[in-house]
Amino acid sequence: MASESPTSERKVVVHLRATGDAPILKQAKFKTAGTNKFSTVIEFLRRQLHRDTLFLYVNSAFSPNPDELMIDLYNVRGLWRNFGFDGKLVVNYACSMAWG
Amino acid sequence: MENQKSFDGTLSADEFYIAANTLCEKWKSANTGLPDWTWVPYKRMPSGASYNDGYLSLESIYHIKFPKDPVKSRNLSEEDEEPVDSATLVHVPSNVIHAYDFHIAYSHSYRDPVLYFNGHRSDGQPLDLDEMQKDLPEYSQKLLTESKWTFITVEEHPYLHQPWYMLHPCGTSDWMKLLLHGRPDAADYLISWLSVVGQTVGLRVPISLVSSCAKHDSI
Repeated sequence: MASESPTSERKVVVHLRATGDAPILKQAKFKTAGTNKFSTVIEFLRRQLHRDTLFLYVNSAFSPNPDELMIDLYNVRGLWRNFGFDGKLVVNYACSMAWG
Repeated sequence: MENQKSFDGTLSADEFYIAANTLCEKWKSANTGLPDWTWVPYKRMPSGASYNDGYLSLESIYHIKFPKDPVKSRNLSEEDEEPVDSATLVHVPSNVIHAYDFHIAYSHSYRDPVLYFNGHRSDGQPLDLDEMQKDLPEYSQKLLTESKWTFITVEEHPYLHQPWYMLHPCGTSDWMKLLLHGRPDAADYLISWLSVVGQTVGLRVPISLVSSCAKHDSI
């Protein structure tokens, strides 16, 4: 990522990866403004998959709050490795999320 | 958890204690702006437990409900043109300040952590489920109306023996298995777990919690 560009203009490439029984998207990668919230990704997937109940997580270890900024997530040095790497933020999604 | 191939999303009582300590330490160093998680040790009589028995506690998390009054919100937009006095204190009636206590206990039957919570008014009066429901994030409110009692249930607190609300743990190991993706780590189990569970009850787990522990992982 170009370090000279100001945070407000930074774009984050999101790579959506299906896990469990979730269907794979035709377009699994998209670019979004770093100032967008994680809820943008949640809403996008809800529309694409026509499902309300989705389970989203990054870096195989953390489910971010919907109001976290994309650029902040990208910059997290996470539990296993950085949330963002190779210029993209991998977001895993699954359709099954049961409590009881 | 020792054997990655057979990782089933659960953890042992000993691992729960390790994870609890990690959560306490990392929560403290992440400057969440919230009180700290503390481990409450429990001594059973007669003491037969070979593990560190107890539970995690995070108390007095305030939820301030601002009344959604249509008249007031109209006033608010009119005020945009007036000079704003930022020093004005907002007087919140004490009956809209709700305090929440969160406990995490280990369930021996599910082999998973379980979140217990209770809310009360500032005068100490307990909140019932209907009142607490209004404090929950929108998504949880919806889920609660769709599947009452399979999502949030009232159960006897395993240590305090009083009725507490709890998140139903039946599905926990399934989504934990998915979340940890074959990379089980007892120490960070509760942080990953709380990132999901916290959202359902409006308890925010800041990403600084995972950032702050990266130093030793990235070497």
